[in-house]
Amino acid sequence: MKKDYTVVGKNIRKLDALEKAMGAATFTTDIKLPGMLYGKVLRSPYPHARIVKIDTSKAEALPGVKAVATYLNTPRVKFNTSATSTFTIPPLQPVEDQYIFDSVVRYVGDEVAAVAATSKKVAEEALELIEVEYELLPTVFDPLEAMKEDAPSLHHCEAGKNVPGEKIHIEMGDIELGFAEADNVFEHTFKLPVQKQAQMETQAAVAQVSVDGKVTVWSTTQTPHPSRRILATIFGLPYSKVRVLNPPYIGGGFGVRIGLSAKAEPIALALAMLAKQPVKVVYDRKEDFIASDTRHSGYVTVKTGVKKDGTFTARKIVGILNSGAYCSWSAEAPGVLGAMGLSIYYCPNQMYDGHSVYTNTTPAGAMRGFGNPQGMFAVDSQVDIIAEALRMDPMEIRRKNIMRPGLPWVLPYPCQSSGLEECMDLGAKAIVWDQRGKQNQDRDTIRRGIGMAIGTHVSNAWPFCGDYSNAYVTVQQDGSIQVASGVPDMGTGTITTLSQMAAEVMGIAFEQVGITFADTESTPFEIGSHASRTCYASGTAVVAAAQDAKKQVFEYAANMLEVTPGELDIENGIIYSTLTQEKSISLGQVAMEAHLRGQQFIGVGRIIPQNAPPYLAHFAEVEVDTETGKVRVTKMVAAHDVGKAIHPLIVEGQLEGGLAMGIGYALSEEIKYDDRGRQLNNGFHKYMLPTAMDIPELEAIIVEAEDPTGPFGAKGVGETGLVATAAAIANAVYDAIGIRFFEIPLTEERVYRALKECK
Amino acid sequence: MLKDYVLATSIEEALVCLKTYAGQARVIAGGTDAMLDLSAKKMTTSCLLDITKVKELKKIESMDGQIVIGAAVTHSEVKNSDLIRTKAPLLAEASGSVGSLQIRNTATVVGNVVNAQPAADAAVALMALGAVVEITEDAGTSYVPIEEMYLGVGQSKVDPTKQIVTSIRFPALLPGQGSAFVRLAQRGALALPMLNVAVVLSLCEDKVEWVRIVMAPVAPKPLRALDAETHLQGAVINDELIAKAAKLAVSEATPRDSALRGSAEYRKGVLEVLVRRALQQAVTAAR
Amino acid sequence: MQKKILKFKLNGELMELLVSPSDTLVDVVRDQLGLTGTKKGCGKGECGACTVIMNGQSVNSCIVPAMQAMDAEVETIEGIGTSDKMHPLQETFIDYGAIQCGFCTPGMIMSAKALLDGNLSPSRLQIKETIAGNICRCTGYVKIEQAVLAAADKLKATKDK
Repeated sequence: MKKDYTVVGKNIRKLDALEKAMGAATFTTDIKLPGMLYGKVLRSPYPHARIVKIDTSKAEALPGVKAVATYLNTPRVKFNTSATSTFTIPPLQPVEDQYIFDSVVRYVGDEVAAVAATSKKVAEEALELIEVEYELLPTVFDPLEAMKEDAPSLHHCEAGKNVPGEKIHIEMGDIELGFAEADNVFEHTFKLPVQKQAQMETQAAVAQVSVDGKVTVWSTTQTPHPSRRILATIFGLPYSKVRVLNPPYIGGGFGVRIGLSAKAEPIALALAMLAKQPVKVVYDRKEDFIASDTRHSGYVTVKTGVKKDGTFTARKIVGILNSGAYCSWSAEAPGVLGAMGLSIYYCPNQMYDGHSVYTNTTPAGAMRGFGNPQGMFAVDSQVDIIAEALRMDPMEIRRKNIMRPGLPWVLPYPCQSSGLEECMDLGAKAIVWDQRGKQNQDRDTIRRGIGMAIGTHVSNAWPFCGDYSNAYVTVQQDGSIQVASGVPDMGTGTITTLSQMAAEVMGIAFEQVGITFADTESTPFEIGSHASRTCYASGTAVVAAAQDAKKQVFEYAANMLEVTPGELDIENGIIYSTLTQEKSISLGQVAMEAHLRGQQFIGVGRIIPQNAPPYLAHFAEVEVDTETGKVRVTKMVAAHDVGKAIHPLIVEGQLEGGLAMGIGYALSEEIKYDDRGRQLNNGFHKYMLPTAMDIPELEAIIVEAEDPTGPFGAKGVGETGLVATAAAIANAVYDAIGIRFFEIPLTEERVYRALKECK
Repeated sequence: MLKDYVLATSIEEALVCLKTYAGQARVIAGGTDAMLDLSAKKMTTSCLLDITKVKELKKIESMDGQIVIGAAVTHSEVKNSDLIRTKAPLLAEASGSVGSLQIRNTATVVGNVVNAQPAADAAVALMALGAVVEITEDAGTSYVPIEEMYLGVGQSKVDPTKQIVTSIRFPALLPGQGSAFVRLAQRGALALPMLNVAVVLSLCEDKVEWVRIVMAPVAPKPLRALDAETHLQGAVINDELIAKAAKLAVSEATPRDSALRGSAEYRKGVLEVLVRRALQQAVTAAR
Repeated sequence: MQKKILKFKLNGELMELLVSPSDTLVDVVRDQLGLTGTKKGCGKGECGACTVIMNGQSVNSCIVPAMQAMDAEVETIEGIGTSDKMHPLQETFIDYGAIQCGFCTPGMIMSAKALLDGNLSPSRLQIKETIAGNICRCTGYVKIEQAVLAAADKLKATKDK
């Protein structure tokens, strides 16, 4: 492919930006249909209980109430709110462990019933009229406790007590031999908190059933096609009679709706079927907090064998994650934790064991990074511990051990590109690494520190899960093109990036591209937006479709121009012979000529993506107030090898957003529970995600080590921004005050206590 | 069940409304908390009596060395008032740290007092200023020191179904007097304080003529550190004295364990630091 | 519940409608008037997605009693520009990559507009304080701050002309 791009690599105005800037963009929460009812959900106040009796008669009698749904009048089909059913490849079996409503509730916030009424107020009033009698069941909140013999069982499990799915085991080389060869062995356990996606638009869906039974669901899902499959399965409908789409925008995702938007879609649809009217279900912010997936909390143990010169000889990681009350992505996330945690460094002998454990807390699922930030907080905190023990510079020990293309690793695909070392060097320069250790006087109460950490990630889910994409590129009679891809744009710039790729391949102006997206009815199957995959995988499909269309166009044009297709090229919509100057014709003319003779050029892209590792080096500069324990990040630098930045401004946006979320993960974000299983941090005022006041200068540096498998060399970038942020900050805090933290977030109180203990 | 919403244009009109509704109407200003309490069913009333359109309640005035802040004055207005910034800078600081700009643009300083939350930033500063609350009712007008306004957590002496707090007043700071407001919170905005401390003091040469130290949330209401104040009174200010006063202040505080905003132990530990810093800042400002 | 008459100016146009005493301003703007540009992210004044300008000041329309808008001038995202004549903030938000999911954008722009209406040379800290009540989970705020600064420059340049 030619390197001199006309559209790719340019900061073209994002396709969604104008509508969003004008307040004209439509989101699920904005939809209003004729006759539409409002659905509200009754949730369990108990962390584990059996519903002995449920009486909905008073609620049904309330004027304005059109339907009340419970486990007694809704489908008894088990499913998983996440898209795992679509992705899991035999012999592995997806864990399907929940119903829309069940007779047992397993966490505070679990669905008990739902009401559809003519107004939100009436629906809320009706919820209070539903009489439920509960029999309380024993509870467990910690994953280590939940694995014990005498813990209550939440679900039937094959792999172990309260273990959903299969335990993950990854192995390379001879781990025992590796430890035997080491001069020193380090082993540490780290504890990770519950983080929340806290996307701005809460979970929402609007369901409509036509008189002939056709279903349409507008929702906040990141994956319309897999969501359609889940809904069709629950309600026993042909996939082709269910349409799932975004309307067309989603107010963020960060993994919280890979699959269903919690249960907004099936609840809205169940109510719409009962009421025979459209129903809109919008979670309020508290519901979004307590009853939709979080990041996995848990424990990560890292054991590393190392030679005196700093060479790693063996690494073993064990990850035990808290699944919460249902599986969601809990069978997969521990795998990514291990696979990524092991793959950032080259080490000949490696092993990982990990799994999740059910507890009576809010289900944990996918969140940006998907296990990787948990693993890398542990791995790269420990690398700094090792460096100090060996009196090595943290940069040096990493330089010595980082994974490099061509070396073996545990992943089932080869490492074919890496700009990691360049990322480290550029980042070190930007943060002024040489200042490290020289910033404090003995008596300073505000102490400064610099730290760094590195990481990698994936560019899609293959081959951990099924992953493939389809796309159409249809040439219109005027030579403009229509792209169709089932992928949503949740703010990550996907539709712009895909359109750029299509324009580049077709050799036409960006303005000539139209795109249909996130609609199961008008697009072929496509997994959706997750796993940093849309640019890489959906992009590959769009490129393939554009190439297919172009091939057809060239064949047709060659006939018209009386040349061979192989000698044709196209630029700015003009097809020309690279051999004879005077032979040229516009794409529009060719398309119209073909149309008049009964033909349209329809390019189809059908691809199974390969995979490629993006790389990143994060540098943090912090200030610690040693009298209060307050940690402030004063600067953050993130240098990322993104392969090829199709749209640099979008890439920077992904990195900066990830950094901010990572700063929150490191310092303040955490959901805690009280002893009755209730979330304490269940709203924006109590959940300490960063505001503009808390974000320092962020510097995103783009490094482009193009990967041969990615479209135009691109690699995934959606999640990398927070993979190593917490580790970099914790390492900077260590540099400032000499205290190592094995648990985040580094709240004022945690740091203060540690400072007191050290005195 | 809420049936009516009255926009009063004068205090007289507001009083008539309260009388007509005979305990079934409730005074609101910015309404930021009231609307939430209503929808969460924490509060019921038949009528919301909105006083934000009463012109005389929207003033910040200086009268005979006293600063008077009307009941409809918002945190933003206080924060941006030149009068407050020069004559009661700690209040500008405190009002400026409430919630977010949008909240400060609607929520009122008086509302901060009437809500009777133990850590309300502006109320903590006002107590250090020795503020007095003007309460108007049918029977007439009375003046209550802010310290006597609290009956319990979230419970004010004012009955919003019968009485209207019309203003709050305090002496303007004079030369030789200094103030400070310091606050520890989990983030830079949209956060209640883990701790806040307000100090107002008067120095003559370097001798402390008088001092008021207020700490929160370390008791059911903003708490005066009386032992610390006594210790400072009449003494020549120095670092050692301040350190001792900070220690005394801590011994007077009884913070509770909060799962959200820090353990009692942590708050006690850090309180000493904040009191010390506040005293130091106030001394600097006074000099 | 007794309905009350509410009169106010919305985006320059005089409105007269019936509201419930318990209605908040966002209920009126979004549900009754169908102006869905103003978003609702929390319903509790904790996220700023519903920010509108009332009498020149940014407010959380989800906790402002609708009746409090009586005789007020209210501006929403729909009223500050058109697609062929955007407000400079709308232009710079687009150009500086300050928009990702777009859900916080209308509130964010309204907060920024209230600032720039009174101050064309804001400091970075003033901008941060202005938007600190507007949560954005996508951008990390940096590009938003840059966009506001750039819009201030644009407005200043227009004014100086």
